[in-house]
Amino acid sequence: MKKILVVEDEKTLCLLYAEELGKEGYAVTAAYDADAALAELKKKSFDLIITDIRMPGKNGVELIAQIMGLRKDIPIIINSAYQSYKEDFMTWAADAYVVKSSSLDELKTKIKELIGR
Amino acid sequence: MIEKYNFLTSEFQKDSPREMMLLSIISQSFFQPFSLADNMLVILTALTSGSGVGFNRAMLFLKEGDRLRGEMWLGPRTPEEAGYIWEVLSTPGIGYVEIIEHNRALVSKNEDTLSNRIKNLAFVMNEPTCEMVPALAACHKEIYLVRDAFREPLIDKKFLEIIEVDEFLCIPLVARDEVFGLIVLDNSFTHVPISPGDIKLASLCGLIASNYIYSATLHERLLEAEKMAAMGEMAMFVTHQLRNPLVTIGGFTDQLLQPKVSRDKRDRNLKIIRDEIRRLETIVYQMAHFLKVSLKEPGYFDVTPMIAAVLQSPEIQARARSYSLDVKIDSGLPQVLCDPTSFGEVLRNLLDNAFDATPSGGRITVRARRKSKTSFVLSVRDTGKGISNPDKAQMYRPFFTTKEKGMGLGLPFIKRVMDTCGGTIEVRSRVGKGALFNLAFQTREGGNST
Repeated sequence: MKKILVVEDEKTLCLLYAEELGKEGYAVTAAYDADAALAELKKKSFDLIITDIRMPGKNGVELIAQIMGLRKDIPIIINSAYQSYKEDFMTWAADAYVVKSSSLDELKTKIKELIGR
Repeated sequence: MIEKYNFLTSEFQKDSPREMMLLSIISQSFFQPFSLADNMLVILTALTSGSGVGFNRAMLFLKEGDRLRGEMWLGPRTPEEAGYIWEVLSTPGIGYVEIIEHNRALVSKNEDTLSNRIKNLAFVMNEPTCEMVPALAACHKEIYLVRDAFREPLIDKKFLEIIEVDEFLCIPLVARDEVFGLIVLDNSFTHVPISPGDIKLASLCGLIASNYIYSATLHERLLEAEKMAAMGEMAMFVTHQLRNPLVTIGGFTDQLLQPKVSRDKRDRNLKIIRDEIRRLETIVYQMAHFLKVSLKEPGYFDVTPMIAAVLQSPEIQARARSYSLDVKIDSGLPQVLCDPTSFGEVLRNLLDNAFDATPSGGRITVRARRKSKTSFVLSVRDTGKGISNPDKAQMYRPFFTTKEKGMGLGLPFIKRVMDTCGGTIEVRSRVGKGALFNLAFQTREGGNST
């Protein structure tokens, strides 16, 4: 089973992602901030990281920079409510940028593209 | 020994050189928070200040898009008026403030005549009008002295009909190679020929005026850009704040629409959806609140009942249950200057921040006391996480927040209220040691009387 780390400060969204991506056959671990995400990454391995940008403490971009220092081979999807940052995601070393939407179809498609089921 | 001098001199020596007097008037005016129009008035005043000093009349055109538009024309309408004005202006003890006030009145008095005569006068630059004086001077960025104007074919006929004088001087207003306007000067009453000295002095005034308009225009552009940036930042932030609850509501609603949803899951989802809708309501309320164009005018009122009403409100009472809330309101408080509703909202915001920052079981202290004969202080102290110095520097910026679900509008609102009623905010805080907000308001003597 492919393992996904979701970094998102909105706890209800983490719950939604865990349930919906769980149905697709992924094992989801939630981290509510960047530090918790880094701690999870040190503990176990993941196949994919989905991260928000705007979070209390370190933001998603700072988190990605730190992940690069740890492991460069994990694909990263930025999942943010900001539409306007979409043009910048390549420079932040992420593999995809999905604007938050109540339909998780685009997110699911990107995950499948990057790691398969 | 050290001597101290003021930038502003209240009056001029009669025997001061006219260059000195003229430059003093202009630079002192720029020292004041005058508007562009007022400062232009000062420049024209300086150019026409007094009998035998300067010119009789000064006309100002400002560039608007690709046009030079008549803006202001200062000077007497008749020789009698000229005599009277110059007599007033040469009265001993008359300072530049009086001269400007006098001319401001003159300009408005002249609305029916001089300034109004040129209000409809406009010359398109880069068009055939640029072949004719006065626009020619602005187009070529050159100073022109026109003599024998009625016989000169290069003078715009309409302009000549208005100015009705055979000798005048055109000074273009140019800064950084950009044209900002044009000043036209004449001696229509004294008929004194315009001398090379007059031209030198007038061109110097033109340079100062151009640079002033240039920096004023830049300042205006900067303010506009800042406003646009703030609007952009706001739009982006609001989108973000709205999208999160919308995504949650949409996602959990989709789950409810799937077949065979357990009762527990249905209840849980409905609760999540309801909570997110309440959050959206709060966001909309706060936005509407913050975007209010103007706050109500401050007035004197009794704070004691307002503080009690806020503290006893169900929302505050509900949140206060998890804390040790310590309230001390002095008796016989003076009346305080603020809009009462805004005051209540300020206290509510301070308490909300204190609750948000402090873990359950912490202490929140509210103090209301007279500080001096003329001031009252409302204090809210908490034992929460405190505010770091970098956050202190940004905390009044709209949309800056350290809260998970905050809007970053509470402290900017408090700041707006305090600015409106002439109060001050003092913040003392160290990370991990809680925060203290002291809000000082102006008071009126007379205790609780209304």
